[in-house]
Amino acid sequence: MMRDCEVYAVANRDIVFESFDGEAVVLNLANGKYFGFSDSGSRVWQALSSGVDARALIGLTAGGSTLGAAELEHFISQLLELGLLVPSEAAARPLPGELPAELAGTSEPLTVSTHDDLADLIIVDPIHEVEEPLGWPAVKQPS
Amino acid sequence: MPRVTLETLPDYARYLITAAEEAATHYPGTRTVRLPRLELTAHVAPGVLADALGHAFVEAEDDLAEPSTCRIFTVHPGIGGIPEPARWGDAHFTEYGFAERLAGAGLRGHYFHDLDFWQVYDPERRIGVQLMTSPDAFPPWEPTAPLRAFLHWEYAARGMRLTHAGTLGANGKGVLLAGAGGAGKSGTVAAGLLNGLDSVGDDYVLIDLAGGVTARPLFSTLKQDPQGFARLGLKQRLRIQSPLNWQGKHTFHIADIAPRPVPAALDIVALVVPHIGGGDMSSIVPVSRRDAMIALAPSGIMQMPGERESGFRFFGDLTRQLPSYRLSLGTHPEEIAGTLADFLTRVVS
Repeated sequence: MMRDCEVYAVANRDIVFESFDGEAVVLNLANGKYFGFSDSGSRVWQALSSGVDARALIGLTAGGSTLGAAELEHFISQLLELGLLVPSEAAARPLPGELPAELAGTSEPLTVSTHDDLADLIIVDPIHEVEEPLGWPAVKQPS
Repeated sequence: MPRVTLETLPDYARYLITAAEEAATHYPGTRTVRLPRLELTAHVAPGVLADALGHAFVEAEDDLAEPSTCRIFTVHPGIGGIPEPARWGDAHFTEYGFAERLAGAGLRGHYFHDLDFWQVYDPERRIGVQLMTSPDAFPPWEPTAPLRAFLHWEYAARGMRLTHAGTLGANGKGVLLAGAGGAGKSGTVAAGLLNGLDSVGDDYVLIDLAGGVTARPLFSTLKQDPQGFARLGLKQRLRIQSPLNWQGKHTFHIADIAPRPVPAALDIVALVVPHIGGGDMSSIVPVSRRDAMIALAPSGIMQMPGERESGFRFFGDLTRQLPSYRLSLGTHPEEIAGTLADFLTRVVS
């Protein structure tokens, strides 16, 4: 269920993003995971990450249909779970004037995809949980 | 044996640089390599690494620009005054946290746990140290692209970037081939070289965005798995006797199969994302910049220590400057090369 005011912020400074022809690519610098958005998802990401009240997006045309509260809520829960956004107490920013038309021009549903195909690179980018004070290679065992 | 933590990391890095400089009279050998805008001098003992420095680079002999100089000490405790490598003693290690801590102190660095292999670099003074437990205690990928971390830091400090991509071109114009391992980059580069196209590199190339996108060669090494090696006819052509590398691949050099000397640069006119198409014939169709960025950036950022955010911004700028395409690879090297040659002619005209 949505709150009275639904404002979010980018989770931390390790989350960086670039936009290409209106399509966003997000990178978590800390773990190297990439996130790609559909065309409607990109517009919604840009709105949410800049502090627009999520409720202002409900009822707009996006991806060929009307954006419903449940669909938006599910999308936001994914962004929270992926560590890309956090709830914010900041005052909401107004909906950018061009956003409704941009959203209406999108053709894909709200989606975010994770790109984590870096397993073959782990050998040069080790993230090790180790047993203190032994240090690597004494890997910490689950208790 | 001392243990290094995030707290003591910058002090340890500076200590290593000082120790290496003070031991300068004890080094058994020196090699100087001329690279684009850079003259790299490495103090290195005779052996695999010294040999790699002799054959793994494409030297920029005709580069008229006045080069900066950088100096790298590849050292081990067998050299007088060089300490045993310390071990990491922190409970939690991340490459990112490690790099961030050093960057805060104006330094760059990398630590490979399995070998207690340290690389630290001071970009302001252009001095670096590669500390190993013994002369040959380096990661297996090091001889293919020796000292690449130092080159990454040095060029990044100048706004350029070592980029994990292949290249093919003709008449000074070229394409950048982007994608994760297994996407078909290396096979495409070899197919192009065998059929008359040029390349400035298959694995890591130097990209400069000043005045358009320019790719320059650094490393001469090419790699092919045994299947690709046989498919391309290289087994008969090169008759390589050396063992497969750590990835189970044959390694050889651009000059072994190139029709001409490696060009000093290619003006890049398109970003191309190859994939194994499954059909007989190759085809090239436009792809979104978002998808091209996702093909280009992840491996380029994650294979290099540090400079992650600057890399993300750099690859974003690069992607915006170029039209992007997806190349579905056919099965015949000659046909693949012909498709790319026709494509280059079309894009350039």
